[in-house]
Amino acid sequence: MKLIYRMAIRISLVLTLVMSVWAIFFYMAMIDEVNDEVDDSLEDYSELIIIRVLSGETLPRESNGSNNYYCLTEVDRSYAVQRPAILYTDSMVYIPEKEETEPARILTSIFRDKDDRYYELVVSIPTIEKNDLKIAILNWIVFLYIGLLVVVLMVNLWVFQRSMRPLYVLLKWLDDYTVGKRNKPLKNETQISEFRKLNAAAERNAERAEQLFEQQKQFIENASHEIQTPLAICQNRLEMLTEEDSLSERTLGEVIKTLHTLEYISKLNRSLLLLTKIDNGQFPDVRSMNLNRMIACYLEDYKEVYGYRRIDVSQVEYGTFQVDMDESLATVLVTNLLKNAFVHNVDGGRVRIEITDKSLIICNNGGGMPLDESRIFGRFYQGNKKEGSTGLGLAIVDSICRLYRLSIRYFFQGGQHAFEIRK
Amino acid sequence: MHGIGTDMKILIVEDDPVLRELIRTSLEKDRLVVEVAEDYRSALLKIEDYNYDCILLDITLPDGDGLFLLKQLKEMRKRENVIIISAKDSLEDKVRGLEWGADDYLVKPFHLAELYARIRSVIRRNRQDGENKIELGNVCIYPDHFTVSVGGHTIDLNRKEYDILYYFIQRPGRLVNKTTLAEAVWGDHIDQVDNFDFIYAQIKNLRKKLNAAKASLEIRAVYGFGYKLIQE
Repeated sequence: MKLIYRMAIRISLVLTLVMSVWAIFFYMAMIDEVNDEVDDSLEDYSELIIIRVLSGETLPRESNGSNNYYCLTEVDRSYAVQRPAILYTDSMVYIPEKEETEPARILTSIFRDKDDRYYELVVSIPTIEKNDLKIAILNWIVFLYIGLLVVVLMVNLWVFQRSMRPLYVLLKWLDDYTVGKRNKPLKNETQISEFRKLNAAAERNAERAEQLFEQQKQFIENASHEIQTPLAICQNRLEMLTEEDSLSERTLGEVIKTLHTLEYISKLNRSLLLLTKIDNGQFPDVRSMNLNRMIACYLEDYKEVYGYRRIDVSQVEYGTFQVDMDESLATVLVTNLLKNAFVHNVDGGRVRIEITDKSLIICNNGGGMPLDESRIFGRFYQGNKKEGSTGLGLAIVDSICRLYRLSIRYFFQGGQHAFEIRK
Repeated sequence: MHGIGTDMKILIVEDDPVLRELIRTSLEKDRLVVEVAEDYRSALLKIEDYNYDCILLDITLPDGDGLFLLKQLKEMRKRENVIIISAKDSLEDKVRGLEWGADDYLVKPFHLAELYARIRSVIRRNRQDGENKIELGNVCIYPDHFTVSVGGHTIDLNRKEYDILYYFIQRPGRLVNKTTLAEAVWGDHIDQVDNFDFIYAQIKNLRKKLNAAKASLEIRAVYGFGYKLIQE
């Protein structure tokens, strides 16, 4: 979820809550104020009547057309004592002139005249419809809320985008960044100290990653190169030994086996170096390579060399698989896959190659179980250990495919292992 | 010993003392005159003072890039044969070396037989006036035309038989083991075979053809490990 959406949702939620509480307080305050005003006028009115009653002046008409209404009744003492002297209530009152019932504020007061008679005076003033008020307030709050929300969100969006621009510039730069490749410098001018720190930290880290990458590259290269000289020494010493005529067959055999192991180490070393070079993109020369022709050419060699295993080989061409790539890498790709298909085959097995314009499939018999798809292209993965195999062949194939954006996958079908390369 | 003559003078420029002495011993066994230099400075002094038939040059020296020696040679108008021996095996390194005037480029680790063959080859290339040919016993190979003659009569070899004979004739008397031969003749991609019948089949045919033509050379099996070219 984008930060801006998260912020919008949170602001909306908080505002809803705050506005609701605010609306309740607002309503209560309004009602309180209105009641206060009404009570004041009720008090004035009842005072006027009471004064007139006590002084024996004529009373106004019970209903004077202003919706004000009073009712004076004499009550006995016991009733008067039970009741409070002054009581405000809200109630529905029938107004005869209008012939309808309306909400009204009522003041009931009890007083005593000089003859010790008790009176109850009920004065009422029609008051506002509280339901109407509630609805009006609610409507306004909803209206205000939506308006306010839109304004708040827009202001937020604008402020957010203005102030977060450096963050997005930095994010884009980080997205585009690849260690070991030629990267654009980070151009992100800002006055904000947090973003400056972030920029500096990102650049520092990139530089560090770059240094580590360079060191690792150097290390692998140097290690590989440094190993070559002692390897050469061992190999050459043993070769001189093999030229001694006095060696017995057994000794010579052991020496030659050791030589094979040395050659294996040297091959391993070269393969690792090759992997490093591919991953570093050190093969800039690209030509259009016709893999059909290349496969046909190398297939002849493999057929001859593995002739003793009576492997049935077929190459079916529905099209020409043409790829732009380095010639030596194309050779490595093709020979590694072909070698794989022969080395891991069974006596009397089959190798089938299918080529179209867009894909290249090499299937072969082999162990009856499918191999682990997720690990087969990893370094040093070997389904069943073969002597002389470095376990790097398919890792190299995978690296080459990645370099030239070809997709490679392994699948097991009808008892056959298959590798498919697609453009 | 075989072919180049015994008065050849070789300079080995290599900083690793063990490898340097090893190459020296091996080449001296082949009756070549060998001198050594352990760094750029001493190599330069030797080159200024003496002439060599071939210089084996390690280009990563402690006190400088060996490639500059090639430049120095050019400035001195000397035409020594130079074979670079280097741990670096990338194409660009090789191309760079050859562009600067080296005659060949050999990647460490190498077979001593290979080194010897390369030395022979570059010297022969520079010496030849007229036709390019390699002669041993009554067998003669013409690499420019891929033809072989025995006692003056051309014999008919297929491509693999020719490649095998060509490989052996450059390494006479040396034990060549089967994997090395397979990689040299069939290619680097033939490196995991466990049955060498295909080599045996080719060698059997080659022997037959050489015998029929009464060649003085014989490809002899050495136990089960490899073969050796013997001059009778």
